[in-house]
Amino acid sequence: MPVSAGPRGAADQPSLAGRVALVTGASRGLGAAIALGLAARGAAVAVNYHASRARAEEVVRAIEDEGGKAVALPADVADPDACAELVAGTIANLGGLDVLVNNAGITKDSLIYQQEPADWLAVMRVNFGGVVNCTRAAMGTMLRQRSGSIVNISSVMGIRGWVGESPYAASKAAINAFTRCTAVEAARFGVRANAVLPGFAATDLVAGLTTKNGGRGILRQIPAKSFAGPEDVANVVAFLAGPGAAYMTGSLVTVDGGASAVLGVGAPLG
Amino acid sequence: MSDNNYLPAVQDAVVEALGLETEEVTPDSTLTGDLGAESIDLLDILFRIERATGAKIQASDLADHIQGGIPDAEFGTDDDMVSDLGLAHLQAVMPQIHIADLVGKLPADEVISLFTVRNLADMVTRFAPLGSG
Repeated sequence: MPVSAGPRGAADQPSLAGRVALVTGASRGLGAAIALGLAARGAAVAVNYHASRARAEEVVRAIEDEGGKAVALPADVADPDACAELVAGTIANLGGLDVLVNNAGITKDSLIYQQEPADWLAVMRVNFGGVVNCTRAAMGTMLRQRSGSIVNISSVMGIRGWVGESPYAASKAAINAFTRCTAVEAARFGVRANAVLPGFAATDLVAGLTTKNGGRGILRQIPAKSFAGPEDVANVVAFLAGPGAAYMTGSLVTVDGGASAVLGVGAPLG
Repeated sequence: MSDNNYLPAVQDAVVEALGLETEEVTPDSTLTGDLGAESIDLLDILFRIERATGAKIQASDLADHIQGGIPDAEFGTDDDMVSDLGLAHLQAVMPQIHIADLVGKLPADEVISLFTVRNLADMVTRFAPLGSG
Protein backbone atom coordinates (compact mmCIF):
# COMPACT_ATOMS: atom_id res chain seq x y z
CA MET A 1 0.00 0.00 0.00
CA PRO A 2 1.51 3.35 -1.00
CA VAL A 3 2.30 5.81 1.75
CA SER A 4 -0.07 8.73 1.53
CA ALA A 5 0.17 12.23 2.85
CA GLY A 6 -1.40 12.90 6.20
CA PRO A 7 -4.91 14.22 6.60
CA ARG A 8 -5.60 17.51 4.94
CA GLY A 9 -8.49 19.91 5.16
CA ALA A 10 -11.34 18.74 2.95
CA ALA A 11 -11.49 22.12 1.25
CA ASP A 12 -7.87 21.70 0.10
CA GLN A 13 -8.79 18.68 -1.98
CA PRO A 14 -11.00 18.91 -5.04
CA SER A 15 -12.50 15.58 -3.95
CA LEU A 16 -15.55 16.09 -6.16
CA ALA A 17 -13.79 17.39 -9.27
CA GLY A 18 -15.60 16.28 -12.38
CA ARG A 19 -18.69 15.24 -10.44
CA VAL A 20 -22.17 16.65 -10.87
CA ALA A 21 -24.35 17.25 -7.81
CA LEU A 22 -28.01 18.13 -7.44
CA VAL A 23 -29.05 19.79 -4.19
CA THR A 24 -32.76 20.26 -3.54
CA GLY A 25 -33.96 23.28 -1.63
CA ALA A 26 -30.62 24.98 -2.19
CA SER A 27 -31.66 28.61 -2.48
CA ARG A 28 -30.99 29.32 1.18
CA GLY A 29 -30.04 28.00 4.59
CA LEU A 30 -28.52 24.59 4.83
CA GLY A 31 -29.15 23.77 1.17
CA ALA A 32 -27.24 26.83 -0.01
CA ALA A 33 -24.33 25.99 2.30
CA ILE A 34 -24.31 22.42 0.97
CA ALA A 35 -24.33 23.62 -2.64
CA LEU A 36 -21.45 25.97 -1.93
CA GLY A 37 -19.54 23.27 -0.06
CA LEU A 38 -19.86 20.77 -2.88
CA ALA A 39 -18.85 23.40 -5.44
CA ALA A 40 -15.81 24.31 -3.33
CA ARG A 41 -14.72 20.69 -3.66
CA GLY A 42 -14.97 20.79 -7.44
CA ALA A 43 -18.51 19.60 -8.18
CA ALA A 44 -20.74 21.25 -10.74
CA VAL A 45 -23.97 21.93 -8.86
CA ALA A 46 -27.64 22.09 -9.81
CA VAL A 47 -29.20 24.51 -7.31
CA ASN A 48 -32.84 23.52 -6.97
CA TYR A 49 -35.42 25.99 -5.73
CA HIS A 50 -39.18 26.02 -5.44
CA ALA A 51 -40.19 29.67 -5.12
CA SER A 52 -36.98 31.61 -4.38
CA ARG A 53 -35.52 31.98 -7.85
CA ALA A 54 -33.59 35.15 -7.07
CA ARG A 55 -31.89 33.58 -4.06
CA ALA A 56 -31.05 30.44 -6.02
CA GLU A 57 -29.44 32.59 -8.69
CA GLU A 58 -27.41 34.30 -5.98
CA VAL A 59 -26.07 30.90 -4.94
CA VAL A 60 -25.23 30.14 -8.57
CA ARG A 61 -23.41 33.46 -8.91
CA ALA A 62 -21.48 32.81 -5.70
CA ILE A 63 -20.31 29.48 -7.10
CA GLU A 64 -19.42 30.98 -10.47
CA ASP A 65 -17.52 33.83 -8.79
CA GLU A 66 -15.26 31.18 -7.27
CA GLY A 67 -14.67 29.62 -10.67
CA GLY A 68 -17.24 26.87 -10.28
CA LYS A 69 -20.11 25.71 -12.45
CA ALA A 70 -23.74 25.81 -11.38
CA VAL A 71 -27.27 26.16 -12.65
CA ALA A 72 -30.51 27.10 -10.88
CA LEU A 73 -33.38 24.72 -11.60
CA PRO A 74 -36.97 25.04 -10.33
CA ALA A 75 -39.03 22.13 -9.03
CA ASP A 76 -41.54 21.35 -6.33
CA VAL A 77 -40.07 18.16 -4.90
CA ALA A 78 -43.52 17.04 -3.74
CA ASP A 79 -44.36 16.52 -7.42
CA PRO A 80 -42.90 13.30 -8.90
CA ASP A 81 -43.05 14.59 -12.48
CA ALA A 82 -41.27 17.80 -11.48
CA CYS A 83 -38.51 15.73 -9.87
CA ALA A 84 -38.09 13.70 -13.05
CA GLU A 85 -37.73 16.95 -14.97
CA LEU A 86 -35.31 18.27 -12.35
CA VAL A 87 -33.02 15.27 -12.75
CA ALA A 88 -33.29 15.43 -16.54
CA GLY A 89 -32.52 19.16 -16.40
CA THR A 90 -29.46 18.54 -14.25
CA ILE A 91 -28.11 15.99 -16.69
CA ALA A 92 -28.92 18.18 -19.70
CA ASN A 93 -27.24 21.26 -18.20
CA LEU A 94 -24.29 19.73 -16.37
CA GLY A 95 -23.66 16.48 -18.25
CA GLY A 96 -24.51 13.84 -15.65
CA LEU A 97 -25.54 13.12 -12.08
CA ASP A 98 -23.18 11.71 -9.46
CA VAL A 99 -24.42 13.18 -6.20
CA LEU A 100 -27.99 13.81 -5.05
CA VAL A 101 -28.54 15.75 -1.84
CA ASN A 102 -32.18 15.58 -0.76
CA ASN A 103 -32.34 18.67 1.42
CA ALA A 104 -35.64 20.42 0.69
CA GLY A 105 -37.81 20.57 3.75
CA ILE A 106 -40.54 22.48 5.51
CA THR A 107 -42.00 22.43 8.99
CA LYS A 108 -45.47 23.12 10.37
CA ASP A 109 -45.14 22.89 14.11
CA SER A 110 -48.25 22.21 16.13
CA LEU A 111 -49.42 20.18 19.08
CA ILE A 112 -50.83 16.83 18.01
CA TYR A 113 -54.16 17.52 19.68
CA GLN A 114 -54.56 20.76 17.77
CA GLN A 115 -53.14 19.61 14.46
CA GLU A 116 -54.93 19.90 11.12
CA PRO A 117 -54.58 16.83 8.89
CA ALA A 118 -53.42 19.10 6.07
CA ASP A 119 -50.42 20.17 8.16
CA TRP A 120 -48.76 16.81 8.63
CA LEU A 121 -49.66 15.81 5.09
CA ALA A 122 -47.99 18.91 3.65
CA VAL A 123 -44.83 18.25 5.67
CA MET A 124 -44.79 14.60 4.66
CA ARG A 125 -45.30 15.40 0.98
CA VAL A 126 -42.35 17.78 0.83
CA ASN A 127 -39.92 16.26 3.34
CA PHE A 128 -40.43 12.56 2.78
CA GLY A 129 -42.14 12.70 -0.62
CA GLY A 130 -39.34 14.90 -1.93
CA VAL A 131 -36.73 12.33 -0.93
CA VAL A 132 -38.70 9.50 -2.51
CA ASN A 133 -39.47 11.41 -5.70
CA CYS A 134 -35.94 12.64 -6.32
CA THR A 135 -34.35 9.34 -5.38
CA ARG A 136 -36.61 7.47 -7.78
CA ALA A 137 -35.89 10.02 -10.49
CA ALA A 138 -32.12 9.74 -10.00
CA MET A 139 -31.89 6.01 -9.48
CA GLY A 140 -32.15 4.96 -13.12
CA THR A 141 -29.12 7.05 -14.01
CA MET A 142 -27.10 6.02 -10.96
CA LEU A 143 -27.87 2.32 -11.16
CA ARG A 144 -27.06 2.23 -14.87
CA GLN A 145 -23.74 4.01 -14.42
CA ARG A 146 -23.11 1.85 -11.33
CA SER A 147 -21.98 4.77 -9.22
CA GLY A 148 -23.52 7.59 -7.26
CA SER A 149 -24.00 8.98 -3.79
CA ILE A 150 -27.29 10.03 -2.26
CA VAL A 151 -27.23 12.10 0.91
CA ASN A 152 -30.56 12.69 2.62
CA ILE A 153 -30.87 15.55 5.06
CA SER A 154 -32.74 14.14 8.01
CA SER A 155 -32.70 15.47 11.58
CA VAL A 156 -32.10 14.37 15.13
CA MET A 157 -35.86 14.94 15.41
CA GLY A 158 -36.17 11.69 13.48
CA ILE A 159 -34.66 9.76 16.38
CA ARG A 160 -35.87 11.86 19.33
CA GLY A 161 -39.06 13.64 20.32
CA TRP A 162 -39.86 17.34 20.75
CA VAL A 163 -43.08 19.08 21.67
CA GLY A 164 -44.88 20.34 18.57
CA GLU A 165 -42.53 18.66 16.10
CA SER A 166 -44.51 15.52 15.32
CA PRO A 167 -45.06 16.15 11.57
CA TYR A 168 -41.44 17.13 11.01
CA ALA A 169 -40.04 14.40 13.26
CA ALA A 170 -42.18 11.72 11.63
CA SER A 171 -41.14 12.86 8.16
CA LYS A 172 -37.48 12.64 9.17
CA ALA A 173 -37.93 9.20 10.74
CA ALA A 174 -39.44 8.10 7.44
CA ILE A 175 -36.38 9.49 5.66
CA ASN A 176 -34.14 7.47 7.97
CA ALA A 177 -35.96 4.24 7.14
CA PHE A 178 -36.02 5.07 3.44
CA THR A 179 -32.29 5.80 3.51
CA ARG A 180 -31.53 2.37 4.92
CA CYS A 181 -33.69 0.64 2.32
CA THR A 182 -32.21 2.71 -0.51
CA ALA A 183 -28.74 1.75 0.68
CA VAL A 184 -29.61 -1.93 0.79
CA GLU A 185 -31.17 -1.95 -2.68
CA ALA A 186 -28.52 0.21 -4.35
CA ALA A 187 -25.31 -1.12 -2.79
CA ARG A 188 -24.74 -3.89 -5.32
CA PHE A 189 -24.90 -1.27 -8.06
CA GLY A 190 -22.13 0.83 -6.49
CA VAL A 191 -24.60 3.48 -5.38
CA ARG A 192 -24.48 4.70 -1.76
CA ALA A 193 -27.17 6.31 0.37
CA ASN A 194 -26.61 7.93 3.74
CA ALA A 195 -28.41 10.44 5.90
CA VAL A 196 -27.14 13.40 7.87
CA LEU A 197 -29.04 14.21 11.03
CA PRO A 198 -28.36 17.80 12.03
CA GLY A 199 -29.25 19.00 15.49
CA PHE A 200 -30.03 22.64 15.91
CA ALA A 201 -28.48 24.69 13.13
CA ALA A 202 -28.84 28.42 12.84
CA THR A 203 -31.13 28.50 9.80
CA ASP A 204 -34.48 30.10 8.98
CA LEU A 205 -36.25 26.76 9.38
CA VAL A 206 -35.78 26.60 13.13
CA ALA A 207 -35.24 30.29 13.86
CA GLY A 208 -38.27 30.29 16.14
CA LEU A 209 -36.58 27.74 18.38
CA THR A 210 -32.98 28.89 18.23
CA THR A 211 -33.69 32.59 18.78
CA LYS A 212 -36.28 32.30 21.54
CA ASN A 213 -34.73 33.74 24.70
CA GLY A 214 -31.49 33.96 22.78
CA GLY A 215 -31.63 30.20 22.25
CA ARG A 216 -30.47 29.68 25.84
CA GLY A 217 -33.10 27.05 26.61
CA ILE A 218 -31.87 24.83 23.85
CA LEU A 219 -28.19 25.61 24.30
CA ARG A 220 -28.36 24.25 27.85
CA GLN A 221 -29.26 20.86 26.37
CA ILE A 222 -26.44 20.74 23.81
CA PRO A 223 -23.13 19.47 25.22
CA ALA A 224 -21.18 21.54 22.67
CA LYS A 225 -22.98 24.68 23.95
CA SER A 226 -23.37 26.08 20.46
CA PHE A 227 -25.61 25.75 17.47
CA ALA A 228 -24.27 24.20 14.30
CA GLY A 229 -23.30 26.53 11.53
CA PRO A 230 -24.66 25.48 8.13
CA GLU A 231 -21.08 24.76 7.03
CA ASP A 232 -20.69 22.24 9.89
CA VAL A 233 -23.43 20.18 8.29
CA ALA A 234 -22.28 20.93 4.74
CA ASN A 235 -18.81 19.54 5.51
CA VAL A 236 -20.26 16.19 6.55
CA VAL A 237 -22.51 16.11 3.49
CA ALA A 238 -19.51 16.75 1.24
CA PHE A 239 -17.59 13.96 2.94
CA LEU A 240 -20.45 11.49 2.48
CA ALA A 241 -20.82 12.57 -1.15
CA GLY A 242 -17.17 11.99 -1.94
CA PRO A 243 -14.69 9.14 -2.32
CA GLY A 244 -13.58 9.31 1.31
CA ALA A 245 -16.89 7.70 2.28
CA ALA A 246 -16.69 4.97 -0.38
CA TYR A 247 -17.54 2.19 2.08
CA MET A 248 -20.26 4.10 3.95
CA THR A 249 -23.83 3.33 3.01
CA GLY A 250 -26.97 3.10 5.07
CA SER A 251 -25.41 5.27 7.76
CA LEU A 252 -27.33 7.85 9.75
CA VAL A 253 -24.79 10.44 10.85
CA THR A 254 -25.68 12.88 13.60
CA VAL A 255 -24.17 16.37 13.45
CA ASP A 256 -25.60 17.81 16.60
CA GLY A 257 -22.91 18.86 19.05
CA GLY A 258 -23.70 15.78 21.12
CA ALA A 259 -27.38 16.65 21.62
CA SER A 260 -28.71 13.19 20.77
CA ALA A 261 -25.99 11.45 22.80
CA VAL A 262 -26.79 13.14 26.08
CA LEU A 263 -29.04 11.90 28.85
CA GLY A 264 -28.44 15.06 30.82
CA VAL A 265 -25.68 17.61 31.32
CA GLY A 266 -24.61 17.54 34.96
CA ALA A 267 -21.89 16.89 37.52
CA PRO A 268 -20.15 13.55 38.25
CA LEU A 269 -22.62 11.28 40.07
CA GLY A 270 -20.00 9.90 42.48
CA MET B 1 -34.07 -24.15 -30.51
CA SER B 2 -32.43 -20.95 -31.75
CA ASP B 3 -29.03 -19.72 -30.79
CA ASN B 4 -28.11 -16.09 -30.99
CA ASN B 5 -25.21 -13.68 -30.77
CA TYR B 6 -26.36 -12.23 -27.45
CA LEU B 7 -26.18 -15.48 -25.49
CA PRO B 8 -22.59 -14.95 -24.24
CA ALA B 9 -23.36 -11.40 -23.10
CA VAL B 10 -26.49 -12.56 -21.30
CA GLN B 11 -24.62 -15.42 -19.63
CA ASP B 12 -21.89 -13.02 -18.50
CA ALA B 13 -24.51 -10.65 -17.07
CA VAL B 14 -26.14 -13.47 -15.13
CA VAL B 15 -22.81 -14.79 -13.84
CA GLU B 16 -21.74 -11.35 -12.63
CA ALA B 17 -25.08 -10.30 -11.16
CA LEU B 18 -25.59 -13.55 -9.27
CA GLY B 19 -21.94 -14.11 -8.34
CA LEU B 20 -21.92 -17.57 -9.90
CA GLU B 21 -19.27 -19.58 -11.70
CA THR B 22 -19.46 -19.47 -15.49
CA GLU B 23 -20.13 -23.19 -15.76
CA GLU B 24 -23.11 -22.88 -13.44
CA VAL B 25 -24.99 -20.70 -15.91
CA THR B 26 -26.02 -22.71 -18.96
CA PRO B 27 -28.34 -21.53 -21.73
CA ASP B 28 -31.03 -23.80 -20.34
CA SER B 29 -30.74 -22.68 -16.71
CA THR B 30 -33.95 -21.08 -15.50
CA LEU B 31 -33.27 -17.70 -13.96
CA THR B 32 -35.50 -17.71 -10.91
CA GLY B 33 -35.77 -21.51 -10.63
CA ASP B 34 -32.35 -23.07 -11.18
CA LEU B 35 -30.30 -19.96 -10.44
CA GLY B 36 -32.44 -18.46 -7.69
CA ALA B 37 -32.59 -14.95 -9.11
CA GLU B 38 -34.74 -12.50 -7.13
CA SER B 39 -36.37 -9.34 -8.48
CA ILE B 40 -33.36 -7.16 -7.63
CA ASP B 41 -31.08 -9.70 -9.34
CA LEU B 42 -33.19 -9.44 -12.49
CA LEU B 43 -32.85 -5.65 -12.36
CA ASP B 44 -29.09 -6.00 -12.07
CA ILE B 45 -29.01 -8.51 -14.94
CA LEU B 46 -31.06 -6.20 -17.18
CA PHE B 47 -28.81 -3.19 -16.46
CA ARG B 48 -25.71 -5.29 -17.21
CA ILE B 49 -27.24 -6.49 -20.47
CA GLU B 50 -28.11 -2.90 -21.38
CA ARG B 51 -24.54 -1.81 -20.78
CA ALA B 52 -23.09 -4.71 -22.80
CA THR B 53 -25.52 -4.76 -25.72
CA GLY B 54 -27.46 -1.50 -25.75
CA ALA B 55 -30.72 -3.42 -25.33
CA LYS B 56 -32.79 -1.39 -22.89
CA ILE B 57 -35.20 -3.82 -21.26
CA GLN B 58 -37.37 -2.77 -18.31
CA ALA B 59 -38.53 -5.31 -15.74
CA SER B 60 -42.07 -4.62 -16.94
CA ASP B 61 -40.98 -5.51 -20.51
CA LEU B 62 -40.01 -8.93 -19.21
CA ALA B 63 -43.50 -9.54 -17.85
CA ASP B 64 -45.11 -8.16 -21.01
CA HIS B 65 -42.90 -10.35 -23.18
CA ILE B 66 -43.81 -13.46 -21.26
CA GLN B 67 -47.53 -12.71 -21.17
CA GLY B 68 -47.56 -11.35 -24.72
CA GLY B 69 -50.09 -8.62 -24.04
CA ILE B 70 -52.79 -11.16 -23.24
CA PRO B 71 -55.11 -9.68 -20.58
CA ASP B 72 -54.82 -11.29 -17.13
CA ALA B 73 -58.39 -12.59 -17.36
CA GLU B 74 -57.58 -14.48 -20.56
CA PHE B 75 -54.02 -15.53 -19.64
CA GLY B 76 -55.17 -17.21 -16.45
CA THR B 77 -58.15 -19.40 -15.65
CA ASP B 78 -60.55 -18.84 -12.76
CA ASP B 79 -58.33 -21.01 -10.56
CA ASP B 80 -55.23 -18.94 -11.48
CA MET B 81 -53.68 -21.53 -13.80
CA VAL B 82 -52.35 -20.50 -17.21
CA SER B 83 -55.09 -20.91 -19.83
CA ASP B 84 -54.72 -22.78 -23.11
CA LEU B 85 -54.38 -19.41 -24.84
CA GLY B 86 -51.64 -18.44 -22.39
CA LEU B 87 -49.81 -21.74 -22.85
CA ALA B 88 -49.89 -21.35 -26.64
CA HIS B 89 -48.17 -17.99 -26.26
CA LEU B 90 -45.64 -19.35 -23.75
CA GLN B 91 -44.66 -22.00 -26.27
CA ALA B 92 -43.62 -19.20 -28.61
CA VAL B 93 -41.45 -17.32 -26.10
CA MET B 94 -40.21 -20.40 -24.24
CA PRO B 95 -39.88 -23.07 -26.97
CA GLN B 96 -38.35 -25.58 -24.54
CA ILE B 97 -41.55 -26.12 -22.54
CA HIS B 98 -43.92 -28.98 -23.26
CA ILE B 99 -47.34 -27.46 -22.99
CA ALA B 100 -49.12 -30.81 -23.07
CA ASP B 101 -47.60 -31.51 -19.66
CA LEU B 102 -48.67 -28.14 -18.31
CA VAL B 103 -52.35 -27.90 -19.25
CA GLY B 104 -54.23 -26.90 -16.13
CA LYS B 105 -51.12 -27.33 -13.96
CA LEU B 106 -49.08 -24.15 -14.34
CA PRO B 107 -49.92 -21.41 -11.82
CA ALA B 108 -49.95 -18.05 -13.61
CA ASP B 109 -47.66 -16.48 -11.02
CA GLU B 110 -45.02 -19.18 -11.52
CA VAL B 111 -44.54 -18.72 -15.25
CA ILE B 112 -41.34 -16.74 -14.72
CA SER B 113 -39.78 -19.81 -13.10
CA LEU B 114 -39.62 -21.46 -16.56
CA PHE B 115 -37.78 -18.54 -18.20
CA THR B 116 -34.24 -19.51 -19.16
CA VAL B 117 -31.01 -17.72 -19.93
CA ARG B 118 -31.54 -18.57 -23.60
CA ASN B 119 -35.10 -17.19 -23.50
CA LEU B 120 -33.68 -13.93 -22.18
CA ALA B 121 -31.05 -13.86 -24.93
CA ASP B 122 -33.82 -14.35 -27.49
CA MET B 123 -35.66 -11.42 -25.94
CA VAL B 124 -32.54 -9.28 -26.18
CA THR B 125 -32.54 -9.69 -29.96
CA ARG B 126 -35.90 -7.90 -30.02
CA PHE B 127 -34.69 -4.98 -27.91
CA ALA B 128 -31.13 -4.56 -29.18
CA PRO B 129 -30.34 -1.53 -31.33
CA LEU B 130 -30.30 -2.28 -35.04
CA GLY B 131 -26.90 -3.33 -36.30
CA SER B 132 -25.60 -4.50 -32.92
CA GLY B 133 -24.94 -8.07 -31.87
